[in-house]
Amino acid sequence: MSEYKTLTAADVSVGDKLQSTDIDISTGLVVCGALATRDFEPVHHSKAEAQAVGLPDVFMNILTSQGLMTRFATDWSGPEATVNSIDLKLGAPNIPGMVMAMTGEVTAVNGDTVDINILGENNIWGMHMQGTVQLTLPKEL
Amino acid sequence: MVANIKDKTVIVGAYNTKFSKSSGVSELSLAAQAVKGAIDDAGLKPEDIDGMATFTMDTNDEIEVARAVGCGELTFWGRSHYGGGAATGSLHQAVMAVSTGMAECVAVFRALNGRSGHRFSDGVSGAITTADAIHWGWYMPYGLLTPASWVAMFTQRWMHNTGVTRDALFEVAHATREYAVKNPNAFFHERHFDREEYDNARMIADPLQLFDCCQESDGASCVIVTTPERARDLRHPGVSVRGVSQAAAPDQEQMTSFYREEFAGIPEMETAARNCYQMSDLTADDIDAAVIYDAFSPIVLWQMEAWNFCGHGESGDFVLDGAMRPGGRLPCNTHGGQLSEAYIHGVNGIVEATRLVRGTSLNQPSKDVNHALVTSGVGIPTGGAILGKMN
Amino acid sequence: MNEQEQKAFEDEIYAFVGKVVYPTTPAPDDINETMIRQWSEILGETNPAYLDADWAANSSRGHTISPPAMMYVWGQEGFQVTKGRAPNAMSTLVETFNRHGFTGVLGTNVKQDYMKESCIGDNISVHMVIDNISERKTTARGTGYFFETLSTFTDQHDDVVGTQRFKVLKFIPQEQPAAASDTDALAVPTRIPSPRGHDNKWWWDACDEGKVLIQRCKSCHTLRHPPRPMCGECQSMEWDSIESTLDGEVMSYTCLRHPVIPGYPKDPICAVIKLAEGTHFVANLVGCEYEDLRIGMKVKGKVEQVDEKTMLPQFYPV
Repeated sequence: MSEYKTLTAADVSVGDKLQSTDIDISTGLVVCGALATRDFEPVHHSKAEAQAVGLPDVFMNILTSQGLMTRFATDWSGPEATVNSIDLKLGAPNIPGMVMAMTGEVTAVNGDTVDINILGENNIWGMHMQGTVQLTLPKEL
Repeated sequence: MVANIKDKTVIVGAYNTKFSKSSGVSELSLAAQAVKGAIDDAGLKPEDIDGMATFTMDTNDEIEVARAVGCGELTFWGRSHYGGGAATGSLHQAVMAVSTGMAECVAVFRALNGRSGHRFSDGVSGAITTADAIHWGWYMPYGLLTPASWVAMFTQRWMHNTGVTRDALFEVAHATREYAVKNPNAFFHERHFDREEYDNARMIADPLQLFDCCQESDGASCVIVTTPERARDLRHPGVSVRGVSQAAAPDQEQMTSFYREEFAGIPEMETAARNCYQMSDLTADDIDAAVIYDAFSPIVLWQMEAWNFCGHGESGDFVLDGAMRPGGRLPCNTHGGQLSEAYIHGVNGIVEATRLVRGTSLNQPSKDVNHALVTSGVGIPTGGAILGKMN
Repeated sequence: MNEQEQKAFEDEIYAFVGKVVYPTTPAPDDINETMIRQWSEILGETNPAYLDADWAANSSRGHTISPPAMMYVWGQEGFQVTKGRAPNAMSTLVETFNRHGFTGVLGTNVKQDYMKESCIGDNISVHMVIDNISERKTTARGTGYFFETLSTFTDQHDDVVGTQRFKVLKFIPQEQPAAASDTDALAVPTRIPSPRGHDNKWWWDACDEGKVLIQRCKSCHTLRHPPRPMCGECQSMEWDSIESTLDGEVMSYTCLRHPVIPGYPKDPICAVIKLAEGTHFVANLVGCEYEDLRIGMKVKGKVEQVDEKTMLPQFYPV
C-alpha cells in the first residue's frame, strides 16, 4: 500500500507545478496507441494515408492523447484520486520523431476537487493539447 | 579630438504614447502620436520641425511621419543602426544636425509594435534577406537565435569571472520594478514582485529567467532637440545635451562578440563613456541619476562598470548597497526601465532622463539632478548621452 | 454563396441538430483486464487502480477500475473502418459540408465528463447525437461552422458513466500560396540553415563533408573565425584554411528554454568553445546534462547529421 502515495487536498495549493515529463513520440507509440484505443482510422497507422491528408507521417489519435493527459494527472495525484473530467483543446499533430513536453499546474482547489491545467507541447510544432483535468482527491487517508 | 557639441543643443519636448501589448494601430500612427506629443510638450508647432532622427530598424519613413504630423520642410534626417544601440545614436544624429545648423528642431523618435507585430524574442529566424544573414548563420543552426540567448552567453561567463550572483540581477529587476509600480504607463504598474516570484519564473536562456528580460511592447517615444536660443522661449526649462557618443570596439559583432580573447565585457561602452565624459567635461561623480539600457538585467551591471560608477566586477556590490534605489548613489531607471515600464528601444529612456533633469520624473529623487546619464543597448555598437540643466 | 444560398445551406445543416449518429449500441467486449493491460502498457500507465487487483482490493474502492480515458474505446467500431464506415447522420452532415466547399476538417475540442467509475465485467453502451452547430464563423483556418457531437455512455444498469463532447470545425480551406508546394507541406521543419555567400560558402560546404575548417591568412598565418575576406592583422586578402581537430574548452554556455523553435531539439545547449587552434567557435554541446556543465571543461567535437538536411559540429564532454 505505502508504495503508492495519494495526495489529499491539504497537500495541494493553487500554483503547484506537476513534475514535467518528456514523451518520445515514436511510430510505435502512435500506431500501437491507435490499436490500444481501437482507433483503426488509417491515418494513424498508414503513412501513405497520413500523407494523403497533408501530414508527413502517421499522427497520434485523440484517444491516446487523452490517455497520456490523464496518466500525467494521476501520476502526480496517486491512484486514490478520481478523475472527474478532461477538457482538451487540440493543437498541432504529434508525429513520430517529435518529443512532447508535458507540464502542468494546479489552477483551482475547491474542497477535495482540484483543477490542473496541463500543456502538451511538441518540439516541432508547439502546442499539441492543452486543457484541464479535474480530479477529486481522497479525504485524509 | 573631442567633439565640440557641449551645450549646443537642448531637449525641449519629450513624450511617450500609451505602452501596450497590442496598440491596435499602425507603427506610423504611433510615430505620429509620439512626435506630435513631443511637439506639444515643447510648445512648438509641427511646422517648426525640420529634422528627424530614428533607428534604421524603424519602419516609418521620415517623410511619412512628417506628412502625418503636418511638418513643413525637412532639411535633415538621419538614422542609426544596430537595434537598441541606436537609442542615443538617434539623439547623436540630432545633436550633430542642430549644432552644425543643418536643422533647428529635430524630432528623435522610435515607434514599434514590438509585441503585436514583430517580436524580438522570435529571434532571427524567418525570411532574412539582408547582409546580416551570413553573420546570424554562424548561430542559427545551433539554436542560438534570440537576444536573450546571446546576452545569456556573456552573462554566464561574466558571473563566472566576477563571482557576481543572482542576488545582483534580482536587485536590478526589483529596484526597477518598484519604480514601475508607481508609473501608470508602465506594464507593471501596481504590480510588486518578490524574490520567490522572481526565482520561480520560467527559465528563458540560462541563467536568464523571465524577469531578467524586458517587456516586448507596442508604443512610441519622442524627444525634440533644438538650439539654446530657441529653447529659451519654450515652455519647459531646457535640458542640454552635454555629451553624446557612439562607439564600436575592435572585433565587434552584433550581439555575438564572442571572438575577443576575453569576451565577458563591453569595451564599446567603455569607449562611448570615455568620449562622452571628455566631451562634457564631466566624470562619473557628476552624474546624479541614470537611465541605463536594460533589455536584460545583467547588462545594467556591466554598464555601471563601463561608465565608471564602480570598478570592474564591483557592480554587484554597488547595486546591492542600494545604489539604484530612490535615496541611493545613482537612482536608476526611475520610469521602471524596459524591464518593467516598456521596451521602446531605449527612447523611453531618453524621455525619462529628460524628465529627471527637468525634475518631473514620477519617481523624482529628492536630491538635485544636475546631470543624468542615458545609454543605448548593449552587445552591439552602442552609445550614451549626458543631459544637464540648460545654463 | 449569396445570402439566399447561405440561408438554404444553413437550413439544410441546422436540420441535423438533434439527429442520432449512433443509437444506443452495446460494446462488443465487456470491460476486461486484457485490453486494460495492453492500453496501459502502450501508454506507459502504471496506475495500480487499473492494474493491480491485490492493491485495489485493499484500496478505498475495493477493486480495480477501468481507466476513465478508455470510456470511448469500448464501443469503437473495429478494423472494418479501414474499408469505410456505414453512412450515418454525421457522415451525411460532413458530406453536406463538403458539397458546399467546406472540405476542411479540424477537431478543435474534446471534453469527457466521468460520472461513475466502471470496472471489469461492465458493458458500456454509447449513444451519439449531433448536439449543436454554430453560426458561420471566420477563423484563422478559414470560414466555417463548428459542430459538436454529444456521446452518452451508459452501463448495463442504465447508469450514465460519462459523456463526451467533441467539437469539429468544417471550413473552406484558404487558397494555398502558389509557392507552397506539396513537398513543403510534407516537410518536417529542420534547423534554419546559414545562407551561403562568397565569404562563408566554402566553410559550410566543408562542414557538409564532415570537416570544420579555420580560415588562415596566407601572408601572416593568423587564423580567423568567422571567415571574412581580409586579414585583420596584415590586410592580406590571400587565405587558405586548416582543419580543426575539434579539441576545445568551454568558455561559456547557455540553454535555450524559451521559446521552443520548430525544427530544433528541446532545450538546445549552445556554447562558445575555444578550439585548440586558438580561435573561438560557437556550437552545440550534446551528450551531457546542463547541470553538469562548467566553464573550462574540455570538449571534443565531431560533425554530425542533426536532421534530415543539416550537418553540424556537435561537441561532447571529454
